[in-house]
Amino acid sequence: MEFAANVTFSALVQQILVGLSRTTILFIVSSGLSLVLGVLRIPNVAHGSLYMIGAFLTYTVSNLFGHTLAGFFIALLIAPLGVALISFLVERCLFCHLYEREHLMLLLFTFAFTLVFGDMVKLIWGSDYRSLTVPAFLQGSFSIQGFPFPRYNLFLLIVGPLVALGLWLLTNHTKIGKIARAAAVDREMVGAVGINVSWVFAAVFVIGCYLAGLGGALVAPTQNITQGMDHSIIIEAFLIVIIGGLGNIWGALLGALIFGLTDSIGILIWPQFAIVFPYVAVVVVLFFRPRGILKSTW
Amino acid sequence: MSAALFGNKKMVLIIPLVAVLYILPQFLPRFQIYLMALIFATGLLATSLNLVLGFGGMYQFHHAVFYGFGAYAFALLAVKSGLPVWLGYFLAPVCSAILGLVLGLLTIRLSKLYFGMLQISLGSLVWAIIYRWYDFTGGDDGIHGIPVPSICEGSANAYYFNLSVAIFALILMYLIVNSPFGRTFQGIRDNPERCSAIGVNVKRHQLVGLTLAAFFAGVAGTLFVTVEGSVFPDLLFWTLSLEILIMCLLGGWFIFLGPMLGAGIIVALRSIVGIYTEYWTLVLGIVLMLLIFFLPEGVLGLFVKKHRSPKPIP
Amino acid sequence: MKKAIWFSLALVLVFSPMVNSAQAAKAIKIGIVDCYSGPPATYTNDVRDAFKLEVDKINATGGILGRKIDFTTRDSKFKVDIGLSAAKELIYRENVDILMGTINSALALAISDLVKKEKIPFFATFSKSAKITGEKGHRYVFSITENTALAGKAGAAGLAKRPFKKYWIAGDDYEYGHALADGVWTNLKQLRPDVELLGQSWWKVGEPDFTPYITAILSAKPDAVIIATGGRDCVPFLKAAKATGFNERVPFFMHTATELSTLKPLGLDGPEGVIGTSNYFFYFPESDANKQFVADFKKAYNREPAVGAVYGLLTAKFIAQAYQKAGKVNTNAFINAVEDLTVDSPIGTVTMRACDHQATLPMFMGVTKKVAGYDFLTATDIVTIPGSEVMPSCEEIAASRK
Repeated sequence: MEFAANVTFSALVQQILVGLSRTTILFIVSSGLSLVLGVLRIPNVAHGSLYMIGAFLTYTVSNLFGHTLAGFFIALLIAPLGVALISFLVERCLFCHLYEREHLMLLLFTFAFTLVFGDMVKLIWGSDYRSLTVPAFLQGSFSIQGFPFPRYNLFLLIVGPLVALGLWLLTNHTKIGKIARAAAVDREMVGAVGINVSWVFAAVFVIGCYLAGLGGALVAPTQNITQGMDHSIIIEAFLIVIIGGLGNIWGALLGALIFGLTDSIGILIWPQFAIVFPYVAVVVVLFFRPRGILKSTW
Repeated sequence: MSAALFGNKKMVLIIPLVAVLYILPQFLPRFQIYLMALIFATGLLATSLNLVLGFGGMYQFHHAVFYGFGAYAFALLAVKSGLPVWLGYFLAPVCSAILGLVLGLLTIRLSKLYFGMLQISLGSLVWAIIYRWYDFTGGDDGIHGIPVPSICEGSANAYYFNLSVAIFALILMYLIVNSPFGRTFQGIRDNPERCSAIGVNVKRHQLVGLTLAAFFAGVAGTLFVTVEGSVFPDLLFWTLSLEILIMCLLGGWFIFLGPMLGAGIIVALRSIVGIYTEYWTLVLGIVLMLLIFFLPEGVLGLFVKKHRSPKPIP
Repeated sequence: MKKAIWFSLALVLVFSPMVNSAQAAKAIKIGIVDCYSGPPATYTNDVRDAFKLEVDKINATGGILGRKIDFTTRDSKFKVDIGLSAAKELIYRENVDILMGTINSALALAISDLVKKEKIPFFATFSKSAKITGEKGHRYVFSITENTALAGKAGAAGLAKRPFKKYWIAGDDYEYGHALADGVWTNLKQLRPDVELLGQSWWKVGEPDFTPYITAILSAKPDAVIIATGGRDCVPFLKAAKATGFNERVPFFMHTATELSTLKPLGLDGPEGVIGTSNYFFYFPESDANKQFVADFKKAYNREPAVGAVYGLLTAKFIAQAYQKAGKVNTNAFINAVEDLTVDSPIGTVTMRACDHQATLPMFMGVTKKVAGYDFLTATDIVTIPGSEVMPSCEEIAASRK
């Protein structure tokens, strides 16, 4: 179709802003996955399922409070905590016994969870789709140079950097963060120094899953909340983590940026093939930096 | 190496098993015959994956691409070209092998997880092309009513055909695994540095292994079309790749026949449980978890002692 | 070694319960293969539930020809290989007399091919590919639902009456989306040769963010837009339209935008002014038949029926009345009886056309609006387009099947 037919400066700005708000969600979800993969070395395929559960929980909690603004924020608070709780239970009862197993077995185990979670969501919430309405305050859109920019997207643009900041502080400036980073590189040594590695791992896992739930909660008002959400996000998240560098939060941010921006700019420039742009970007990155752009923990 | 396939004395078990399989259609109802024919195709696919996964130690995360590509190649040759259908059984696997070579050349420079992820990216690209190229491949509608040679038509005939081809392919793969090439290949899995130190071209061996695995996956693809008569883009989707991976791990990925058993379990479970409840994925998930907890070497690991532990990764 | 033997025995045992679960062989058995997981289930649940309601009613009065109707369902999870396997299981093992389903067009085509070989009638209940009764149609396949060709003609008929000249087409990038858009556009061009296509945008099925596409469309400044989304993306797109004010800036047409399944999840926050077509509204026409149907359905399932319910109801009626007319439970007689059979329904009389086995369903075009008394949007200014006006001619069908 028309290549770059509608590229005006304002359209470009608009697309970049939209791409950035998409980046927020991708970043939050991928950073969680990156943490879990980087520190615990678990390729958690069920990360997508936790994202989906986060969205469903947000819907339910928001409903309970009657779709008010306060209700929505309470849901944003509670839903990821709910997901964190689930992941905590799963980790303590099941995962901690499997750390010595090979990676492929861990992958298999998390995949089993995808199956279980998928059906449990269907059992609990039924198979209808849910639509969560954004609270009135966040509805509608601004007009940026004549183009509509939804308020909710602006909200996401604010939340994203906040989460990134929070994560950075956590991993670099708290004790647990530093221990986790050390454990990612050499878990025996950390254990030898007398730190209970098991609890560190549990903490990191829970935080990673919390992020998945948060991503789901934030995305809930913009999409259909349905089964199948888990499948669509997980491949993107894994690809972002790989190109960003395992266990590297800034890498996840960079990867999410690449993904989100190539997608939305691609739509403007070449809508027929926009879908391939992010994948091509991944291939290009891996060609030049096979281990990811930034440093991996392993 | 002989221990990899039950051990020589266990040939005593294999030959009657094969005989039983040939006689089975006389006793089984029609649905089970169809299911078994499907299991032979899927099992062959899983075994082809294990060629590079279990014996090569490569993280082949998107093996289904070669399977689906082979199936589509067979379908397109049968429906669009003027060539006789049976030729497809030879040409389609070759097409898969070529795809395997091309993707292999692109991905071989990476290893482990990165290799797997790049493969997923490229494989998804192939899927997207087939999905979108509606005029040629039928897009997401797929291609149906694919003609198969008359000796393969009908449930019982498809069963015998699939069984025979699968056995033949398995014998070929077994010979490959036990050949000098195969031994080097496994050596590369266990210790790539040492192998390259003694002068083995690691990357070239892996590439050959990949191409072979893709070839046999293509064969499995043709067997699928023989049973079902249809192809659709799902056959190249990453969820199928993950399923095949699970079949290998479930059955026991260091044993030659492990993946066949894994395929049998998954396909049977899916169909049988599906009759009684729509929540069969939940049941499958729970069964998988139990198996991982209590049978870490896969199901066949119960019967065969692991005399060498595969190198933990990384 | 012993373990191996035990294990093999266990495998055999696992296989054998499948051998015989047939009960009284007297009942007429119907098998439904459909997707009951994920987004499509919203639609397919209605089909099954309405079907069950009607079947229960028929069984309560003695069944058909002295036999009860029995049906069983299988979940295809929207995967063609699983669905096809399930269809084979229903035919080979359960020995069903009739198959019905499915919302996935690829699966419907695969099953259609299967039943051609097995000679079992198959009723497509929600799959929208025009190929099912068009070029790939045959004696054993029927369609109780509209398809992209019919929707296209209806949409075009409605749009032709409006003053729009410059159009943009956008939708889901898969067969359904393209077929629907082609259907609308080809027919529109015939009715109004002066219309102009400015451009097209296609997004992947399940696209998470439509905003970039919406802004790209707005920058082209069309008079109207044709949105060709599949069931899964209708709701998210309408949400995005509301969020960006798209519906207020440019009028757009979306097939099924006015359907209950699409508007209900949006509540009162759906976009107004959207033009949509649908086979059924529970509030129109206000005929006795419709009111009764809605009341029965609501009583049984505590929700209003959406379009899938009408498909389920029609299937049950056609099957029952065809057997009755044939006088015996025989496939050939059944098929002969179904052809050109007319049944009553909440949307008027529906005939199963003999030349292509397509049911003639009316299409209703309306505009979304907030109306007092409902907590979701409904369609207003409804125009009925009779089935006969949107069906392709028998000659066209015959030509495509060559």
